[in-house]
Amino acid sequence: MTEMLRAPAETKYAEELDWLESIDDGPKPFSWRLSPKMVRLFILGSERADGLDREVAQKWFGDRSFVERAIVTLASDRGLLLIGDPGTGKSWLAELLAAAISRNSTLVVQGTAGTTEDHIKYSWNVSAVIANGQSRASMIPSPIMTAMEQGVIGRFEELTRSTSDVQDALISILSEKYVSIPELDDDNIVFAKPGFSVIATANSRDRGVNDLSSALKRRFNFVRIPVVTNKKSEAEIVRFRTVELLRRHQIELDVPPTLLDILLQSFADLRAAAASAGSDDEKLESALSTAEQIGVLEDAILHSNFFGDRALRAQTLASSLVGSLARRAPEDLAILNKYWHGVVEPRSKAEGGSWTEFLDGGREAIKTLS
Amino acid sequence: MTTPTFGALRSQLLDAAAALADGPDALAGILSGIVDDVDRALAEPLEIFPVCHHSPASAMAMARRLRDKQPKVIYLELCEDMTPLLTELRNCRLPVAVQAFASELDGFPQDWAPLSVVAPITEASAEYQAIAYALDTPGVELVLVDRSTDHVFQWQPRKDKAAEPNTEPAAEPVEDADLHGDAVGVEIGDLRPRFAELEEHLLHHGKVRHWSEWWDQYVEQPLGDADYDTYRQVMVLIGSLFRRLAPGARERVTSDEERERYMWTRMRQHLATSGVDAADTLYVCGAFHAASHVDEFGLHGADTYEISPRTATKWHYGLIPSSHSSIEAQFGLASGSVSIAAAVFAKSLTRTGVVPYRLEGQQGGRTAKKKAKPAPVVSPQAQQVADRLSGFLARPPVLDALDEDELLGWSVEIVRLARRNGYLSSTADAIAVFETSILLAGMRGRARPTPYDFQDAAVTCIEKESVPGRRDVRRLCEIMLGGDRIGQVGYDSLPPLARDVHDRLAPLGLKLEQRGVQRALLDIAGDPVLGRCSDLLWILRRLLPQGAARPIMGERRLGHRAIQESWDLALGTHSRELIELGYEGITVEQVLEQRLRRSVWGPQATAAVALGAVEDATLYLRSRRFADELGARAVELLAAERTVDDAPDVLRRARRLLAHYRATEPVLPAWLEAFVKAGYAHYCTLLPNAFVEEETGAKQVAAMLGFLFSMESLALSLGCDRAQLELAVAQSHPTTPGKTALLWAAQHQLGVLSRAELRERCVGLLDNPLVLPAYPQYLSGFVQALEPVPALAGFVVEAISQAFGRLPDAVLLPWLPTLITTLRKEGGDHVGLLVREAGRVFPGDLPTLDTWTPPWSATAPDPAAAAVGPRAQAGPVAALLAVHPEPTDALAALLGCEGAWDVPESQPGSGPVHELLARYPESAVALAAATGVA
Repeated sequence: MTEMLRAPAETKYAEELDWLESIDDGPKPFSWRLSPKMVRLFILGSERADGLDREVAQKWFGDRSFVERAIVTLASDRGLLLIGDPGTGKSWLAELLAAAISRNSTLVVQGTAGTTEDHIKYSWNVSAVIANGQSRASMIPSPIMTAMEQGVIGRFEELTRSTSDVQDALISILSEKYVSIPELDDDNIVFAKPGFSVIATANSRDRGVNDLSSALKRRFNFVRIPVVTNKKSEAEIVRFRTVELLRRHQIELDVPPTLLDILLQSFADLRAAAASAGSDDEKLESALSTAEQIGVLEDAILHSNFFGDRALRAQTLASSLVGSLARRAPEDLAILNKYWHGVVEPRSKAEGGSWTEFLDGGREAIKTLS
Repeated sequence: MTTPTFGALRSQLLDAAAALADGPDALAGILSGIVDDVDRALAEPLEIFPVCHHSPASAMAMARRLRDKQPKVIYLELCEDMTPLLTELRNCRLPVAVQAFASELDGFPQDWAPLSVVAPITEASAEYQAIAYALDTPGVELVLVDRSTDHVFQWQPRKDKAAEPNTEPAAEPVEDADLHGDAVGVEIGDLRPRFAELEEHLLHHGKVRHWSEWWDQYVEQPLGDADYDTYRQVMVLIGSLFRRLAPGARERVTSDEERERYMWTRMRQHLATSGVDAADTLYVCGAFHAASHVDEFGLHGADTYEISPRTATKWHYGLIPSSHSSIEAQFGLASGSVSIAAAVFAKSLTRTGVVPYRLEGQQGGRTAKKKAKPAPVVSPQAQQVADRLSGFLARPPVLDALDEDELLGWSVEIVRLARRNGYLSSTADAIAVFETSILLAGMRGRARPTPYDFQDAAVTCIEKESVPGRRDVRRLCEIMLGGDRIGQVGYDSLPPLARDVHDRLAPLGLKLEQRGVQRALLDIAGDPVLGRCSDLLWILRRLLPQGAARPIMGERRLGHRAIQESWDLALGTHSRELIELGYEGITVEQVLEQRLRRSVWGPQATAAVALGAVEDATLYLRSRRFADELGARAVELLAAERTVDDAPDVLRRARRLLAHYRATEPVLPAWLEAFVKAGYAHYCTLLPNAFVEEETGAKQVAAMLGFLFSMESLALSLGCDRAQLELAVAQSHPTTPGKTALLWAAQHQLGVLSRAELRERCVGLLDNPLVLPAYPQYLSGFVQALEPVPALAGFVVEAISQAFGRLPDAVLLPWLPTLITTLRKEGGDHVGLLVREAGRVFPGDLPTLDTWTPPWSATAPDPAAAAVGPRAQAGPVAALLAVHPEPTDALAALLGCEGAWDVPESQPGSGPVHELLARYPESAVALAAATGVA
């Protein structure tokens, strides 16, 4: 395996996928590499009751029915649109689905304000066109077109960030399942092979930026991924991602369970505060998602590894938390200050231990930023 | 008691336990215990029919079993005191709930009141099948054997009232989910794991989301078409499993065992007295109770249980409307599960051709009449029990074949519904829903999509965004699959009070039994019959919660007669409350009378409350006799009162009543005279203390003084002595500025303090820098004093003007808000008075203001000039007196005054009117001619 900072899921879990494929005897739709039940098992992990020889780890944490609905949608005629707050694991789920179904999760179009129709369909290699004229050889297919040709899953990240006319290029791809190339005289239609489908993700926070046209909406099934609020599964997610992170950075460092608790608790508190806030000024700009928590923890771990004494301390965690969440001055800082003095302080008096260090670290960080 | 029936299964399970846990241990105990339980329940000569609530399989099995067996007696696990109500079910549209209600408690802590127990009954339930069979088949007796509602509360731990903790609090309030109020729910066949971990485990491994779905997939569907033996064995097995795996739930198990003892004892008692053969009976109980371990279990169980007597609490019974969502909310079921169960039941009926039992004349629902299959000739005696359990447990679940037509129907229907609810959905969506449902079901290991799979598919394919206020697709699915049914209690099953209300409101011509708000227009002047409706509506408004009857136009107060009224009525929506009112009396008038009586004789009663009750009795009941009775009580209460907190209320109400009686009756009622007399003496006595006490506010003192001064003439005419008041005022020595001002006002009213002296004191306050900061408080006192001494208004205007003129800003500004709030709180009375007075004193336009001097700053008139005596005044009054001098002369003679008439010289020809008349004399002449004046 060549060195990669972050391997895509199909590379990372290649061995597991091979094994699953070898034992899979269920019916497979189209050219799928795994049957729907196996896809579910790959994503949600195995249990003793499944009677497998080896354990399959859970890779995405959330309600089982979301995964089932997503898989079933891909097996049907429609595209899948995963919608949710930032950091709820939409892209990760999309990657896992693509990896499990077609062993290729890298056919991705990133939606931005600058995305053009060329990124969705095809463009031309200008020098090749000048040299040889327009032909299939001088054409640069987009990831989506490549997915059509190969009969695999194509992905479209942040669909709503691209403009409406660009989005609408997907309509014909999703309904007719072919792209025509009028510049060419022959061989000018690319038909999708069975197994082709599109997984798009959209951010529910900025859906209004470029809302989908109803024609496009009709061609997608929407699966809404909520923010994880269950503390137990959230702890699992954070732990899972942290372990992965430590491995990636090759860091030997312990994350004490008490600190994990403090992190989860403070996010739960801040979410509760945000839920009861009356206006936008009274809540943090951050969506306080699980990904945000992982980011905070990652920050703290890296900081202690490179600048600290190679052990994670509550102070470091606190300053990393303040640093990541304080985006607007003075609103966010004021909320954090209120939280630190109204909630953390009494708690450190009542429970002591790491909470006291957490209190000191947070105070100092707020002071530095103010 | 090992019988060979289940021997094979038992040994198989024991082997499994040994293999799993290295040797016989707790697991083996549990597993073999379960088999024992099944064995025992099925070997019982009195046939036990285990049920689970809202289980279509139970209902189907019941319908089939009843046809087969035709039992003579049915024992039902339902509170025994609810028996008489069950025949009333036929007048209702189900679901309704049988309710027991008690508001006057005897033997329970008073703060539990009112006690209410509801047992909801739906049509798709095993118990309804049993009830319908028993009531409509001649010679069949239905015996309810569970503990009475009284025992429900007797056995409840005394610390808190809530008996049914809702394990799944509803995430969002569902429409119509509170039809049961805060009653305690009882239900037949509560079957659910008793500890959360087990349920979680089952849900997790069953790969389902909630309990109803688990039940549907793992019990309901496999049992749907199972034969009776399998059904019975499986149900007892589940009951036994949940019973054995319930650690820590000691309290509930104890209560359950108590109930089992109770039921078995009752059944044996019934068998002994009626002499029925046990083979002709059927005992319908929750599967949990079928696996009972109590000694009393069984026909030959121990007979040592003593049923404790009921308390003296008087229970009332009735039917109240219920709904599927209320049942789900009350028993913590997943939303939609009861509706889905009803739909499944209906479908199973058509599929299997089983004819369910239905009460004769039952309203609503399907009325398809099919000839029931004749009772089979097989002997009712249960055949030898065969082991159906081993096969059932070993084989994979029988999969229902795909019912394509049904699913297609659903898919089309949901798209239609979604479109009607504002979703952009099309035929393409119907196709997608259809396809997705099948794929989802396949993924979850079933061939036929369950309603839950279908729901998920519909959400996936149709729901693109959530719009607040729009029904979500999940809810639409529930509506489509039967929807929330709201029951209705038929007219004949209503308590007399509710029937009476409906009868008397009939002239309105509205369908009041329907849910929703209806507008009633009452032209009382045009149709006197509507006047009686109006009376009734006002009483209902007083008794029922807000919203049941709401006047839009019209009011009812003393001395007011309405010509037209309009009302928003929602009696159908509030029929539970109306029915519960029926437990208190026969007519609403009686209930109101009782409530008023109770409020007046209760421990919290005060004179103000009693006066309010008098007012209500006069307004709503028009009963002079009752008002007099309440009034007499008011006198007693007033005399016994030691505080004057209520004085403002008392004053307001007494004034209103006084005005009413003066206007409508030749003489005042005796009680009111007594009240005024007692009040005069009472407030005189309390006055000195009230002036000093810190906790008594200026407002109260003002109200006391108001009572004393405004009722003084009446009180004096009834024999009170003014000296008492004078003494009381003389004894008062207030310590706070506000009350001091009140005292001064009182003294002024009594003539002790002249206005000049009052003014002098105020000026003194303003001149003294030490008391200056307290001046606003004096002013506040004066504002309060407008209540007892309205004549002081001019002076108050003066004092306030002085304050604005002379107080330094540092004192004035902080006080202004206080002044405004005081004035606002006291209502318009004082403000109007003050503004009118100020308008009189101050000039009306700016130019005059420059030259204006306030009357109080003007130099006092020469006393010598004043001594000349009143000058004869010109004006119409003087003219009138001059024309008819006789009464004035007589009065003067009576009073001993002497004097002559100072006739004002008439000044003809002056003024614009005279000029006008002089210029056009014709009209005056014509008028004179017409009136005959020469």
